Amino acid sequence: MALTSVSIALTGSGGAGVMTAGQILLDAAAKAGYHGLMGRTLGPQIRGGESAALLRLATRSVQSPDDGYDILVAFDWGNIERFRDELPINPGGLIVADPHAGPVPDIMLTSQPHVAAVPFFDLAKKVPGGRVNMVALGLVATLIGLDHEYLMERLAIQLHGKGEAALEASRAALDAGAAAAEGLEHVPRLHAATPPTTERWSITGNDAAGVGAIQGGVRFCAAYPITPATDILEWLAPNLPKVGGSLVQCEDELASINMIIGSSFGGVPSLTATSGPGLALMMESLGLAVASETPVVVVDVQRGGPSTGIPTKSEQVDLNIAVNGLHGDAPHIVTAPLSIADCLFTTQWSVHLAEAMQTCVIVLSDQMLGQSRTIIDKPAELAFVGRRKVAEATNAAEAVPYRRYALTADGVSPMALPGTEGGAYTADGLEHDEFGHPSTQTTHHTDQLEKRRRKIESFDYGDHWALVDGDGDADVAIITWGSTAEVAREAMARAREQGVSVRLIAVRLIDPLPVDQLSYALAGVSRVLVVEQNHEGQFLRHLRARMDLPGRVEALHRPGPLGLRPGEILNRILAR
Amino acid sequence: MDSLEEFIAHAVALEEDSAVRFDDMADALDVHQNHEVTDLFRKMAHYSRLHLAEAQKLAENKELPRFKPWEYKWPDREPPETPAMDATHYLMTPHHALVMALDSEKRGHAFYEGLALTHTDPRIRELALEFAEEEAEHVAMLETMLTRYPAPPADWDEDMDPPVSVD
Amino acid sequence: MDAVVKKPQDYKSDLKPVWCPGCGDYSVLASVTRSLAELDLDPHTVALISGIGCSSRLPAYSTLYGFHAVHGRALPVATGLKLARPDLTVLVAGGDGDGFSIGGNHFVHACRRNVDMTYIVMDNSVYGMTKGQASPTTESTWTGSKLTPEGPGLAPFRPLEMALSAGATFIARAFAGDPLEMTRQICAAIAHPGFSFIHVLSPCVTYRPEQKEWRTLVHAEFTEPETDRKAAFLRLLDDDGFSTGILLKSPSAPFRPTTAASEPISALGRQFAI
Repeated sequence: MALTSVSIALTGSGGAGVMTAGQILLDAAAKAGYHGLMGRTLGPQIRGGESAALLRLATRSVQSPDDGYDILVAFDWGNIERFRDELPINPGGLIVADPHAGPVPDIMLTSQPHVAAVPFFDLAKKVPGGRVNMVALGLVATLIGLDHEYLMERLAIQLHGKGEAALEASRAALDAGAAAAEGLEHVPRLHAATPPTTERWSITGNDAAGVGAIQGGVRFCAAYPITPATDILEWLAPNLPKVGGSLVQCEDELASINMIIGSSFGGVPSLTATSGPGLALMMESLGLAVASETPVVVVDVQRGGPSTGIPTKSEQVDLNIAVNGLHGDAPHIVTAPLSIADCLFTTQWSVHLAEAMQTCVIVLSDQMLGQSRTIIDKPAELAFVGRRKVAEATNAAEAVPYRRYALTADGVSPMALPGTEGGAYTADGLEHDEFGHPSTQTTHHTDQLEKRRRKIESFDYGDHWALVDGDGDADVAIITWGSTAEVAREAMARAREQGVSVRLIAVRLIDPLPVDQLSYALAGVSRVLVVEQNHEGQFLRHLRARMDLPGRVEALHRPGPLGLRPGEILNRILAR
Repeated sequence: MDSLEEFIAHAVALEEDSAVRFDDMADALDVHQNHEVTDLFRKMAHYSRLHLAEAQKLAENKELPRFKPWEYKWPDREPPETPAMDATHYLMTPHHALVMALDSEKRGHAFYEGLALTHTDPRIRELALEFAEEEAEHVAMLETMLTRYPAPPADWDEDMDPPVSVD
Repeated sequence: MDAVVKKPQDYKSDLKPVWCPGCGDYSVLASVTRSLAELDLDPHTVALISGIGCSSRLPAYSTLYGFHAVHGRALPVATGLKLARPDLTVLVAGGDGDGFSIGGNHFVHACRRNVDMTYIVMDNSVYGMTKGQASPTTESTWTGSKLTPEGPGLAPFRPLEMALSAGATFIARAFAGDPLEMTRQICAAIAHPGFSFIHVLSPCVTYRPEQKEWRTLVHAEFTEPETDRKAAFLRLLDDDGFSTGILLKSPSAPFRPTTAASEPISALGRQFAI
């Protein structure tokens, strides 16, 4: 049977190299013209833990994982009970396992897959310098019908500098895997693809966020490592200097948020990346960014919570704190990328928003988006570059005193950057008057509260507030946000194949929620399904706090670690 | 102090520092609604500026040496006529303010008198004597004023309200 | 030299301080403005960053670019500013609570990081803005606060030793009652390439009136700055907390992230091309 989409899980522990094999497979498939993505699931060990590369390859662009896996390659079954929930096998799927690891555990057989035994380790041992992951790679490529030359091309890059012998050993290992694939039955083959004629990228959401940050104008980043956001910081560290920027590692998140407030006060667009625990620490200072009107961007790569929670697994659980975590009346902006690739757009757009409105923007990415890799066409250049309204120099002796927080029609006041003559002022977290002088007067407080609200309410966000897709005459609408958007989109496509019209509204601008546009997009529907990955239905509560939703409102939300699957959403759409 | 120019530079700095300090103290008392003492301190600053102008007049047509603030040769940490900041209090009365001012003038007098008596340069001795005499007049004037402002009762600094928590 | 000689008053704003009359912080404000005039710096090229507390009100009283940030975070704000804008002269001001308690971690790491800026801590061993609680530098037996009626019971923090341990390259102590010496120290600190720490004994007349006695306790001790840590440590062994002067001025290579624009932004994507 030939399919348009095949999902493959490679699992192993003790440094078997499944991640490397997975990425080579994805990139080789991309070279052959396939699309795809690769997620990962990892145990808590720093080295040698159980891990799985979770791939989906397809003849069309895909940004969502499938319901389950068609092929599971297992080198061993170490700690399988810990993450079997994240490895659903499609009915009729194929498990290829090394028999030395013992029988396939019963918990893996509930969907009644086919099982084949391949002694990966023995095969690898027979090849001088052969590695078990290369044997598996050769086997999987052969099964799905991917020409090994594409693998060799990627391996040549991967093994660059290790000499011809290493490359030959890999080729021999691939061949051994290919030989082992001979005669296997119940194999999901992929339809043939045509190699692309234009440039394609293989990129993770975290790297994409880094690219978006720089393209948006960010030139300073203060960093404190935290899973799963560290990749963004590690990508920016060598790349910011190339464009005249810099990154500094800090002593904690309190320092990182305050350092970017300082650098941005100096006029340099600035960003940091963190995850839930770090975001919680930054809250007080985000309020300072709001009050002092200092633009900053914080990318929160969400992970399971609360507290330390599940650092390596994805959940959409920081919406509450991102929207409501600041004390006082503190209008600010919360955005969410809608796919792995969209991490680039949304981060770049967020820098633009922060600079234009002189406020803080929290970008809600998550582990699934951040640490998954996908194949995309080279992104088009985006017009969004952070441009701040700045005050010009004046001769201090003659000028009227500079009003840093002047009450303007759009709420945005020209900001004097240090070094500008005639513009000196003190930025303050204390409530202040138009000059920035501390004040407790009712009018000053009210004026400044309204100014800070006005600038984000009156801003023209264009069409970027959401991705609206599907059928205008549909009765049912899915509202979702962040990483579940592409999953919902696939569910919608499947529903339409079954003759059921669906409208999809994937919200990128979480706060301020564009209530009018959302109401307009929902016009005529009688059923609203709110989809997200968390236990409490944070987005649904957010929607309900801001607006009345039309028709019957249904919630579909559950926590991780297994990401929501298209089939789950489809079932809810079809359940009447 | 090695030259007349240096002496004049000190006289200028002494009056200037005193004027600035009295102004700072006036501001501080003003913020704390003690207007009587505010006015007194402003007056002191004003007098210091008058004396400053006199000293500057002496400096005309002379190239004064330029000292960094810490390079002046004062007998103590601060210039002799500069009142100590920590002697102020938000509830202080004109009596306290006059005592402070008197103390400054006495120290100023002692400074000049010392130079008038001991310096080797007769021109400096002469000028220092002139200044010392002037300071003596100020001392006498303040002592007279002080008779009109006797010491307040011992509980002058009592505040019925507790302090305020600000931040 | 500039045609117009700058005066300390050029660096003072029209805003009048809310500090209690008699507070040592007035003296710090005067010394800062005097130092800047002495160094002939244009006010708009200097930034003064602070946290929260009595002394952290300083920026608004100046004509400099100021940032009155949140409690304890002045140093990171200043660090970010200086790294992004190395052309500016960056000063940081705060109190003992702001710098040694809630901001203690940043203090240690700012000493290590050695970014070129000057940190002035006005230490009065008390939290004035919240009505007189014990601070990290308060004596362990001080019973003046309702919050610690038996006394804080903790050994006082020793700022100079901490700074030295953490690797600061310029360490000094001044006294509010000696603003000329303080001015000398601030000028030297600004000129020093790296993180400069000035510990200012700044009496609180309201909650610690007994600190008026400091006038008689301080003694000029560090007359010639040491240039190496060992000698500085030895001197601190005998420090009673009232020694003033510049303790250490050691060779310093200030921290500056390397940055050299070498690629067009559009070239960054090449690393992802398949």
